[in-house]
Amino acid sequence: MLDFEEELKRFRPSLEIGNVEDAIGKEDLTDMTDLMVELLNEKKN
Amino acid sequence: MDVGMRNRQIANAYYNVGLAKARERDLTGASDALKKSLRFNKYQTDARNLLGLIYHEVGEVGAALAQWIISLNLQETGNLAEEYLKVLQDAPGYLDMADQAAKKYNQSLHYAHNDNEDLAVLLLMRMVEEVPNFVKAQQLLALLYIHHEDYTKAGRCLFQALRVDRYNPMAQRYMAIAKENTGRAEVEKRKLKNAFSHRQMQDDDIILPPSYKENTGLQSILNILAGLVLGVVVLFFLVTPTIRDSITHKYEEEIRRGLELVNQKSLQIDELNRKMEEASAAQQEAESSLAAMVDNSGGVISQYQRLAQILQAYRTEDMRTAVQVFAETDLAVLNDGVLNDIVAWLQQDMAQNGYQVLEQLGDEAVTRGDMAQAVEYFQKSLQINGENIGVKYKIGLAYKNAGDVDTANEYFGDIIMNHSDSEYAAQAKEQRGF
Repeated sequence: MLDFEEELKRFRPSLEIGNVEDAIGKEDLTDMTDLMVELLNEKKN
Repeated sequence: MDVGMRNRQIANAYYNVGLAKARERDLTGASDALKKSLRFNKYQTDARNLLGLIYHEVGEVGAALAQWIISLNLQETGNLAEEYLKVLQDAPGYLDMADQAAKKYNQSLHYAHNDNEDLAVLLLMRMVEEVPNFVKAQQLLALLYIHHEDYTKAGRCLFQALRVDRYNPMAQRYMAIAKENTGRAEVEKRKLKNAFSHRQMQDDDIILPPSYKENTGLQSILNILAGLVLGVVVLFFLVTPTIRDSITHKYEEEIRRGLELVNQKSLQIDELNRKMEEASAAQQEAESSLAAMVDNSGGVISQYQRLAQILQAYRTEDMRTAVQVFAETDLAVLNDGVLNDIVAWLQQDMAQNGYQVLEQLGDEAVTRGDMAQAVEYFQKSLQINGENIGVKYKIGLAYKNAGDVDTANEYFGDIIMNHSDSEYAAQAKEQRGF
């Protein structure tokens, strides 16, 4: 049997169109290449 | 091979996986693969655009827009995302509808978290009718139905969700529960078992249709009875309603005709009423005209009577009566053309001789002390001959004697101002106290 409360926690709000701009600003666009470059820079320093 | 190239290769591999899964409508799996692709290479434009398409397909239009806008920022030219965005923007009312759907879903989620499940169900029910591909909304509605143990409705929602996202794990899990509780799981299991339990047919095997049964005597009687019952049922449910409809239609037609007749009669009555009102108005007008004709003081007949009195007075040479009656007569209403010559002669004679008689009558009234009568005679005299300043002065005096000093002063003032060279000007000044 399902645990209703637990199942409900799995649901996330949907992105409303008025909030798209904010969502784009908060989107983490870091990819693996960025991370590696960052690591290399840290190593060099 | 450098690290960048390696990352791009991995990203491309994940993109291919995502594309394959999307083609099989495993949208959740595709979405996961595409996100991994972008984690390795954020410039994998195809992966980002496809991710946007998948979001759009599952009803998450806001998330789709976000991915396509990012895509367009990272690759400004030759990017399919531009076309996707244009299509959405050009569709009238689409973005508004999608935004409303997202808001309703979020509100429903809020209701569900706050023990307002009924409200959440109501809101979601209406919303998924408009946007049936909104997978998250269908799943949430299904969860609420399952919580209310309405497994059939939950199954319908999940069916819709799985049509869009065929292998969605959450929808599949909920569907399994719904099937378990509606007996559907058992039916499917049996079908599956039958499918794998077939044996190879032998040469002497006979295939009987499932509907075939051997008839016995009792069976035949039962069949006949069943046929009779069926006939009665057909008569009751098919023929009777037709007859009833026919009769109803006939009566409705008669009622309609009756109503039309009533309507026509009503129009006729209205027309007759209107004519009666017009006739009544005409009658009133005629009556008022007649009343004006016979009116004692100003009526036309009265004026003819007075004219006759004046002429009679002339014949008996009773000038005083003639002048008195003339002063009360309105000759203007005698305009029918018949007596024009007589009226003209009378007016001319009165202009020459009548005003003196009236003045004389006024003097006599003054002597009697009847100032009102005196003023009346003097006024009539003045009507015939307006240049008689002496009469004006006498009117002033009569008013003064009657105690109406203001009116008297008006007459005296008129003489002083407009007839200053007359013999009465000095007397008028004296009366005013100048």
